[in-house]
Amino acid sequence: MRLDVDTYREIADSLVRNKSRSLLTGFGVFWGIFMLLFLLGGGQGLKQLITANFEGFATNTAIIVADRTTKPWKGMKEGRNWYMTYTDVERLKSMVPELETVTPVVSHWGQEVVNGTNTVNGNIKGVYADYCMIEEPRLKYGRYINEADVAQERKVCVIGKRIYTSIFPDGGDPCGSMIKVGPVFYQVIGVDYSSGNISINGSADESVVIPLPVVQKVYHDGDNIELICVTGRSGIKISSLEDRIRQIMARKHNYDPTDKDALFVMNTEQIFSIMDNLFTGLNFLILLVGLGTILAGVIGVSNIMMVTVKERTTEIGIRRAIGATPRDILSQIIMESISLTLVAGSFGIVFAVLLLNLLETIVNARPDASPVDFQVSFWTAVIAALLLTVLGVIAGMAPASRAMSIKPVDAMRDE
Amino acid sequence: MLIELKDVNKTYNNGQPLHVLKGINLGIDSGEFVSIMGASGSGKSTLLNIIGILDNYDTGEYYIDGRLIKNLTEKQAADYRNRMIGFIFQSFNLISFKTAVENVELPLFYQGVSRHKRHEMAMQFLDRLGLADWAGHYPNEMSGGQKQRVAIARALITQPKIILADEPTGALDSKTSEEVMQLLGQLNKEDGVTIIVVTHESGVANCTDKIVHIKDGIIGNIEDNREHRASVFGTSTIMK
Repeated sequence: MRLDVDTYREIADSLVRNKSRSLLTGFGVFWGIFMLLFLLGGGQGLKQLITANFEGFATNTAIIVADRTTKPWKGMKEGRNWYMTYTDVERLKSMVPELETVTPVVSHWGQEVVNGTNTVNGNIKGVYADYCMIEEPRLKYGRYINEADVAQERKVCVIGKRIYTSIFPDGGDPCGSMIKVGPVFYQVIGVDYSSGNISINGSADESVVIPLPVVQKVYHDGDNIELICVTGRSGIKISSLEDRIRQIMARKHNYDPTDKDALFVMNTEQIFSIMDNLFTGLNFLILLVGLGTILAGVIGVSNIMMVTVKERTTEIGIRRAIGATPRDILSQIIMESISLTLVAGSFGIVFAVLLLNLLETIVNARPDASPVDFQVSFWTAVIAALLLTVLGVIAGMAPASRAMSIKPVDAMRDE
Repeated sequence: MLIELKDVNKTYNNGQPLHVLKGINLGIDSGEFVSIMGASGSGKSTLLNIIGILDNYDTGEYYIDGRLIKNLTEKQAADYRNRMIGFIFQSFNLISFKTAVENVELPLFYQGVSRHKRHEMAMQFLDRLGLADWAGHYPNEMSGGQKQRVAIARALITQPKIILADEPTGALDSKTSEEVMQLLGQLNKEDGVTIIVVTHESGVANCTDKIVHIKDGIIGNIEDNREHRASVFGTSTIMK
C-alpha cells in the first residue's frame, strides 16, 4: 500500500463522486453502531435505575415470616396459625453460627405522626440497633437507633424522608424536637433519607423507627414477632442456610419440617440473581439486535462496493495495464470500504453519545434521584471503532477479490 | 532483438476452442516503428496483448530484451508493464474523474515516485505534447486528439522501451489521426522509442517503417516500408 496524500484523496474522491449512494449506504452502518451504543448505554442506565431501588439493602439477606401450616403434623390438623417469639431470635443466633445478624422487626401501620399543626400518616417500625445491617440508613441528620436506646427503652425515633418533609416543612435539623406518633411523644434523633424501594413492612420513606422494646410496651405486643431478618456472614450463601432455619423453626413450633408454606422465607439473594439473569438476558438481546443491525449495514456496504467495482471495471483494467499490482487494487477497494464504514460509524458513535448525554441529563434532572449513568465508556467507543474497522475490511473483502480478478485486457474489451 | 517471439501459440477456450495464434515468429529491433496489420479476427489484438504482457500465451517463447516472459506472477507482470511498456488505446482509456495531469502521473504513482516529482514530470511531458494549458482539465473537456495526446504522455512518462498502440487512430478523424501518427513517428525518430502499432487501416500502417501482415493467426509477409509507399490509397494522406 502506498501511503500518499493522493491515496487518501482518491478514496475521498470516489466516495464523494456518488454522494447519495455513499450516504445511503453509510446510513446503514451509522444506524447500526448508533443502535448498538444507544441500547448498551440505555440498558446500563436502566439497570442502574432499577438497582437504585435496592439501594442500602444487604444482598445476602433473608426475611422469615411465620405463616399458616399446610400439612398435618403429629396429630394436628393443617391450617394452624403459629407465631415466632423472641426466643427464636436467640435460638437462630446460637444454632446457626453462619448467620451474622438475626434481628426481629415489629410494625404498626397507619399511625398519625404529629408535629405542631403538621400531621402525616406513617408506619411504626420497632427494631434493634443491628437492624441497620439489614437496611442501611442514609442519615441526613442525626444518628440511628443504638444499643443504649434499646437497653434503656428510650422514647426516640428516626423518621423517614416523607415524614420529615411533611411535618417539618421548613426543613432544618429536627433532631431534639418532640413529635407525637400514635399516642406517645418521641424525640427525633435522626432523619433517614434512604430512597430504596425495597420495603420490609413499609418503605423507609414513611417509617418512624423506634427501639423495639418501646414499641412492644406501647402497643402491648407481647412475645410475638411478625418477622425476623437474617444476614449471612460474608462468603456464605443465605440459600444454603435456608433448610437449617426451616428445620430449627419446625422442631420448635411443632409443624412438618417439609411444610414449605408454614415458614415464608424471602431470600434477597434469589431476587438479585433473578435481576442479574434478567439483565444478562437484556444485554444479550441488545448485543444481538445491535450487532445484527451493524451487520445488515455492513452487508449493504459490501453490496454497494460490489456494484462500484463492477462499474469501475474499465478503470481498474486501465490501472492494471499501466502497472498497478493486484495488491494496489486490493488495498484501494478495502481502504474505500474501511473509510465508508469508519466515517459513517463515527457519526453513529458521536450521535449515540450525544443522545445518551441528553437522556442522562433528563433522567438525572428528576428531583432527589440518585444520579444514573447512561453514557457508554470511552473504551466501549474505542472497541466500537475497532469493530467498525474490522467490519470495513470484511465488507471490502468480496468486492476487492472481484476487483483483483479483473484482467487488464478487460479494459480494452470494454468499448 | 528487443522483442522476440518464437512459435507462440494461443488458444481461447470459451466453449468452442479458438486457436487464435498459430505459431507466431517475430523479431523487432530496438528503435523500430512497426505496424501489425490484419483484418478483425486475424489475431492482431491478441498478439498485441501478449507482447504487452496483458495476456498469457500457451506454448512458445517470448523475450523482451533477452528476458523470457513466461509464467510471471501478477506483481512481476505489473512491474514489467509499468517500466518497460507504454500503452496507447483506441478509446484513450483515460480515467474520467482525473484531470489530464493526474492521468499522466498515474504510472509514476504505481512506481512509488514522490508526489512532487511525478507532478513535475507529468507537466514536462504534457508540455512537450503541447497540452500544458490543459493539464487541469478532465478528459470529457478535451477533444479526441487531445485525449490521445494525454494518453501518449501517460505512455511516455515511465520512459519505456516499447510503446504499444492498439488502433490509436480508431476513434479519431483523419486529420487528427495524421497528427497522432506524425507524433508517434517523431517520438520514434527523436527518442528512439520502439513503437508497435496495431491497425487495420492501411493508411496508418503506411506511416510506419515496417508492416507486419497477420492473417488467421499466422504472420504473412513483412513489408519494409521505409519509403512509405505501401498505401493503396496514396501516400499523402491517411484514408479513413
